[in-house]
Amino acid sequence: MPDCAVARFEMAEYWHINPIRTESIRKYLELRPEAEVVLLGEIAEKDFVNAGKGSSEVKNALKRLGVDPDTLRRIAVAAYEAEINVAAHSRGGRMTSMIFDDMIHIVYEDRGPGIADIEQAMTPGFSTADDLVREMGFGAGLGLPNIQKNADGLHIHSEAGSPTIVEIITYFI
Amino acid sequence: MQEIEKKYYHAIQIVSENCTGCTACVRVCPTEAIRVRERKASIDNSRCIDCGMCVEVCQFHAIIPRSDPLDMIRKYKYKVAIISASYAGQFTEDISYPASKKALIELGFDEVAEEAMVTGFMITMIREYIRQNRHIRPVLSSNCPAVVRLIQVKFPSLLPNILHQEAPMSVLTRFLRDKIQREENLKDDEIGIFLIVPCVAHVTAVHQPEGVYRHLQDGAFSIGMIYGKVREVIRKVQESGDLPETYDQGLTIALSGVEAEMVECDDINALSVNGIENVMNILSKVEDHYLDQYDYVVLRSCTNGCVGGCLNVENPFVAMSRIKKMSKNAPTKEVVIDELDTLYRRGEFAVVPLEPRSIMELDKDIKSAIQKMKKINEFLIMLPGLNCGACGSPTCYALAEDIVLGKATVDDCVSLLKRYVRDE
Repeated sequence: MPDCAVARFEMAEYWHINPIRTESIRKYLELRPEAEVVLLGEIAEKDFVNAGKGSSEVKNALKRLGVDPDTLRRIAVAAYEAEINVAAHSRGGRMTSMIFDDMIHIVYEDRGPGIADIEQAMTPGFSTADDLVREMGFGAGLGLPNIQKNADGLHIHSEAGSPTIVEIITYFI
Repeated sequence: MQEIEKKYYHAIQIVSENCTGCTACVRVCPTEAIRVRERKASIDNSRCIDCGMCVEVCQFHAIIPRSDPLDMIRKYKYKVAIISASYAGQFTEDISYPASKKALIELGFDEVAEEAMVTGFMITMIREYIRQNRHIRPVLSSNCPAVVRLIQVKFPSLLPNILHQEAPMSVLTRFLRDKIQREENLKDDEIGIFLIVPCVAHVTAVHQPEGVYRHLQDGAFSIGMIYGKVREVIRKVQESGDLPETYDQGLTIALSGVEAEMVECDDINALSVNGIENVMNILSKVEDHYLDQYDYVVLRSCTNGCVGGCLNVENPFVAMSRIKKMSKNAPTKEVVIDELDTLYRRGEFAVVPLEPRSIMELDKDIKSAIQKMKKINEFLIMLPGLNCGACGSPTCYALAEDIVLGKATVDDCVSLLKRYVRDE
């Protein structure tokens, strides 16, 4: 295989962290404490009827914990966008929400096909959505940028042809 | 807990003698406020939003709506009735709206005003509010008191989106209080202003209004009760002739779909939603910023809007059809818009920022709350997941929550109990 093709299939990683959270997130990832509450949700490919149920469950849990309304909305937006992304762009996957007393860490793992160019995917307006997805009113190319805007930490791990992992971390206070 | 219970007035009352413990009400309650324990239903007052779903579903007259007795108007020197727009849809075609309006004078009122009088003004005010608050997307309508309370209880993050101006009948009340004091030379406490309302949420709103700066109405009568009394005097009224003028064009404020159509214009994109389940779905989408393309959302707890309220006598679809026909060919009649506008500019219709009434929280302290949630999830695994409601809690999750909060025990689960009995 020619060199350029190999380069395109190399593992890619993207991190975005709100500067004031750098220290807390670094510490958290180092210690990886066990979450107090874990919520699991399956996301089926192109199932726009049910996509959103997982983030809705997260929202309800956070309301029960008394998370501040503005923070709750930021988490809801990010979680919903990421869930729709899995339904719209992958072969389906699952979301795992780990809830702590000061933050939430949500991990989305899909079954491929991976993101070829993450930097491009982060550009507002860029979209690879197919016609079905656009017909459903999604695929405007604002998903990932919107997640980034609403989360304290965003981590994307992907390579073309492989599953993608998207992680969102947001603190309650 | 007792103090919180007392804090909230409700227009819904349980008649224990009639309750069979069937759990129908438990399952329809949108805020999971009702439990059946020892075969009797009880309502958690801090959760109840007075939507009236339980009143509608109860087959045993065990949950009854409360409203005021008509006698109370006698305490006042000058008695005013404000009729909700849905009143006009209640009477069969042989009874004209002007006649049903005049009948109220016969029942003892000195003046009868219509919610419909201020519809034109409301639309202008709502549009202006939306344009002045472009940073809020979407603005949520405030005229359904059950929806306002639903947002306080379950969607506190959306409180800033609520239109922070009085609802039509309260706008009219403010206007009438000023006018009557002036014209009739009366003191404020000599004037009694009463609403004739289609739902229990409005009764509660009269007795415990949200976000008001000062005293508004003095009582609320159910359309159903008034309807009965009007039927008794209507023949006499019809024979007497000389009927009052009415504001038929504005009656459509009772219909959620039409309100949205009226507010909608070139720069305002409006959406209409009715029925409490639909309202909750839409609010959840608003929370996710999924409906930011709308500038205004009309939200009504009852089917078709206020014509669906549980204190009406007529079916909501029949009432809607009548009102649409009445308003269609009615002439435009604008009342006192200048005076209303003056009051509006003075800030008379503004409301205090609405406070959340977060009933969802498991504990004030997040550390304790998360421990409780952990325990809830442990119990949830044990429970059958049928959501049958036979335990008296609406879902298995709610039972698990009740167990952890000390309001129930695992033994309340009928399904588990059956399994234990079989195993022994």
